[in-house]
Amino acid sequence: MAPSSALQQVLLSPAELSYLHTSLASTPPIRPDGRTSRQFRPLIAESNILPGTNGSARICFDDGTEAIVGAKAEVEKSRPVFAAREEEGEGEEMAEGQGEGGERGRNEWVDISVEIPGMRDDDSMPVFLSALLSEALLADGGFTRKLWINRRFHWKLYIDILLLSQPLSYPLPLLSLTTHLALLATRLPRLKSEKDEDPMFDDDWEASVFLFPQSQTAKPPATLLVMAVSSNIIFDPSKEELAVAEVVLAVSISSSPSSFTPESEMDVGERKGGSLKLLAVRTIDPPSRLTHPGVPNVVNTATGGTATDNMEMAMAREEGVWKSPRGGAKRKLIAEMIRKVLEKGGVGEEVLDGLEAVGLE
Amino acid sequence: MPLDTSTYSLALLRLDGRRWNELRRLTAQISTQASADGSSFLSMGNTKVICTVTGPSEVKAAPGASGRGDEAVVSVEISVAGFSGVERKRRGKGDKRIYEMQTTIATAFQATLFTHLYPRSTITISLHILSLDGSLLATCLNASTLALIDAGVPMRDYICATTAGSTSSYSSNDEKADPLLDLNGSEELELPFLTVATCGTEDEVSVLVMETRVQVGRLEGMLAVGVDGCKQVRDILDVVVRARGKRILEGSQL
Repeated sequence: MAPSSALQQVLLSPAELSYLHTSLASTPPIRPDGRTSRQFRPLIAESNILPGTNGSARICFDDGTEAIVGAKAEVEKSRPVFAAREEEGEGEEMAEGQGEGGERGRNEWVDISVEIPGMRDDDSMPVFLSALLSEALLADGGFTRKLWINRRFHWKLYIDILLLSQPLSYPLPLLSLTTHLALLATRLPRLKSEKDEDPMFDDDWEASVFLFPQSQTAKPPATLLVMAVSSNIIFDPSKEELAVAEVVLAVSISSSPSSFTPESEMDVGERKGGSLKLLAVRTIDPPSRLTHPGVPNVVNTATGGTATDNMEMAMAREEGVWKSPRGGAKRKLIAEMIRKVLEKGGVGEEVLDGLEAVGLE
Repeated sequence: MPLDTSTYSLALLRLDGRRWNELRRLTAQISTQASADGSSFLSMGNTKVICTVTGPSEVKAAPGASGRGDEAVVSVEISVAGFSGVERKRRGKGDKRIYEMQTTIATAFQATLFTHLYPRSTITISLHILSLDGSLLATCLNASTLALIDAGVPMRDYICATTAGSTSSYSSNDEKADPLLDLNGSEELELPFLTVATCGTEDEVSVLVMETRVQVGRLEGMLAVGVDGCKQVRDILDVVVRARGKRILEGSQL
């Protein structure tokens, strides 16, 4: 479970938390900023802002949080892989028949670093975020395969993620969307040399090739934050909403090539219809667990009640009195949350399409 | 790789086509980030810096530690992005050059801001360097000025900075050597240069940093060109600030 303690704690009283919780749990949910449950905060996005990088992007959320991502690629000599060689030696005819089938990426070719102001590089939050973002990127091995030049050389891609403002809300969606945008804009010089020669590149930047060409369906992953209050599923939660969340999920998705057949133990319903595939799901420890509970009048000596040592009575939930959520999430609820992200015409598609439009401008 | 500066004397044009007294393209935006008290984005040529200002706010550490109870303390944090240079390089926070720049900027603004109005508080300037191509200290100083204005911290006048260099580093062609304004990254590697910042229109020098060796006779010319460049920078920053002020006024009349 992801740490949430690194976030600044929202200073809300039990009464305020209870009010928020009740309004978010009602049908339809009433959000503090008047959005519908699947509406995102408005954002400003631009790509290709830094000429010194292979690809870069900046996203500014409505609440003022801002992130910049720069991707930089360097040519690196590949380590010889003896185990793989042997395999190729055995099935040489097959490998030749496959043509480019020998292209195989390695996870260490991608280096993601996250910088958050006021935090050290080895604090849990940046380390966790970079692990989560690289997990989504490396999930199906298709990304590292794009970095393959020939058997002796490969691209090493450094992705530097800078959060420029204080982490007001959980910064994961911001960082992920900015990374997505930067990777969409990333271009690598066109290769001029052939096969296993020392790589030679076209020095005309106009001739460079996109890492994710627009003609192909493969797109970089995006990680969305989804939360649930009772049975209501809410997208892109703000800081205040997270303070009363019962379940928080980070769902990583990417658009799938049509041939892809998802394999998953969990039944998430009608996934075949959508053009998205699920890469990773992580639960995130909701900050609401750290909030202080309210005390009902019955057991509050200050309001004429009598203090109780009866455990059950102290734990009992009462309408209008805030108790921090306990226990895990229901599997049905989690399945429903994932389904809502992946469904055709759902939030996931909307976000990916929106970001692609930024790159085109 | 040494830079070939010998071609300069042929056409009196620099590698990027500028004449000796021309600035690079300087663009600035103010109030770029909503969540910060003050923010700015400034680019001088290919050097791009984002600056955010927090404060004046209460001192977080024990007041005895900072040692100043009667005025605000200016602290500066500079972070250089890994992708800023030609090659990707991560710089740690303990880099000595960065540390020296932080001190230079903090001292300059400590003297120019009206810090006595904010006792027991701190003003934090954080600078994010996105792209690096010479005149780094000058760009950081200009960006900080804009962000501090945006944050509404009272100050005596703008601190504007540029760099100035000299075309030749050996003494034989002393007469022909030209001073140059606003050096880019490759010129900085090759030529002696200084960073100068002035406060206000009266040519009052508030920062002067020089790390390379140069003949004493050339220093005056370099300084004069630098101070003149600061004036040009001040005009550009002034336009940006006034445009922003006008927008705020128009907004408040509605």
